[in-house]
Amino acid sequence: MNKILYVMDFQDNTHYTYNITEDTIIYHFSVDSSSVVDIHMVTEGATLYYYYNTINYHNNSFKITVEHLKNHTHSELFNHGVNVKDKKLDFLVDGIVPKNSIECICNQENQIINMKNGKSTICPNLLIDNYDVNSNHAAYIGKFSEEKLFYLMSRGISFLEANRLLLNGFLINSDSIDLHEIDLFVKEIEKI
Amino acid sequence: MLEIKKMTCSIIDSDIPILENFSLNIKEGEIHVIMGPNGTGKSTLAKVIMGHYQYEVNSGDICIDGESILHLSVDERAKRGLFLCMQDPTVIDGVSNSEFLRTARGSITGEKVNLYTFIKDMEKAMKDVSLDSNMLHRSLNQGFSGGEKKKNEILQMKFLKPKYIILDELDSGLDVDSLRIVCDNIRDYMKENKKASLLIITHYPRILEYLKPDYVHVLKDGSIKQSGGMELALKIEKDGYSGINVVSGGEDNE
Repeated sequence: MNKILYVMDFQDNTHYTYNITEDTIIYHFSVDSSSVVDIHMVTEGATLYYYYNTINYHNNSFKITVEHLKNHTHSELFNHGVNVKDKKLDFLVDGIVPKNSIECICNQENQIINMKNGKSTICPNLLIDNYDVNSNHAAYIGKFSEEKLFYLMSRGISFLEANRLLLNGFLINSDSIDLHEIDLFVKEIEKI
Repeated sequence: MLEIKKMTCSIIDSDIPILENFSLNIKEGEIHVIMGPNGTGKSTLAKVIMGHYQYEVNSGDICIDGESILHLSVDERAKRGLFLCMQDPTVIDGVSNSEFLRTARGSITGEKVNLYTFIKDMEKAMKDVSLDSNMLHRSLNQGFSGGEKKKNEILQMKFLKPKYIILDELDSGLDVDSLRIVCDNIRDYMKENKKASLLIITHYPRILEYLKPDYVHVLKDGSIKQSGGMELALKIEKDGYSGINVVSGGEDNE
């Protein structure tokens, strides 16, 4: 059984620190705010799934660091941002596996969708000091794929409605999210 | 009637035509087949009819029931009854099959889709195409096998009830049993919707054993080189495309 945390972040410059001692899922929803997250994997065998979803209107940044301090720890980060206006959204994502932590899994997937011509950057860093680590990263900055829009529209769905479907799918990117818990965030998606 | 009138088209910002002076008339209830070697523009034809963003029509016209659709957006073309069953359906992560289908049906009909009716209809339709009902709740085409993707396309066709259906290599990636299932569903659909017509793009005549065509056309070098019936498809299967170079069957390929 996973421990599940919901974090709703509507204020600026928040700093979160987590010591992960058991299998945990953290859903972090943010609107137009900057935050720093430090995660320490402190119990052997613990797994963390971290879903960060943000809607951005001004210049903001998100910095997350996961440090694997114990053997056989496993982290999966999914960071999704929608940059609504012509502003700046930055992701700095660090996965750290020191030499004395063996057989860890350290993965991250980062995407920022620019709705207009905003400036966005993603720095996906994997700082691995060991040979037996399984580690991957992916980063994408751009618009929603035209092929996806074409597919949806070819079934009669308008451009606006197709974008709404894609936005919902992008920002609520896990089937297990309890929508009641993120009611405020869902309303923010509708405002985009 | 779906009419393509002396159409020349190319990739946007390119001067090289992919289809040149291409004409085809598809009347209500008819089944037409386009065959041709790789790279001759078969899939381009399907995408251009649907209004794909990578292509532009340089001259000629595409009409539905006498009205040009060239100025219409992709969704407006779908609302006019066009449906493109894609060769490689797009994976859309995060958008569930059910949410997508319900939105699409609401868009096509212009009416709010009743949830109870939707679930009942979907359960039956999914059973018809031998898709597991839990696929309704999965992200659109994500993790689907090649066969499941094609069945999902046919599921959408049954659900959205189009009038002009384009099957772009439906038979690729389908095993024998799955091909039979999807073709049975298309045949039933055509029986229930007498005005519906089909444009089948294929390399192999096997699909035509299930969906008997009225016309078979051979597309080569961007235009139709020969038209005939099922015997033409069988001849191609036997001899290939090497002997087909002469235009026959009339300019409009009716």
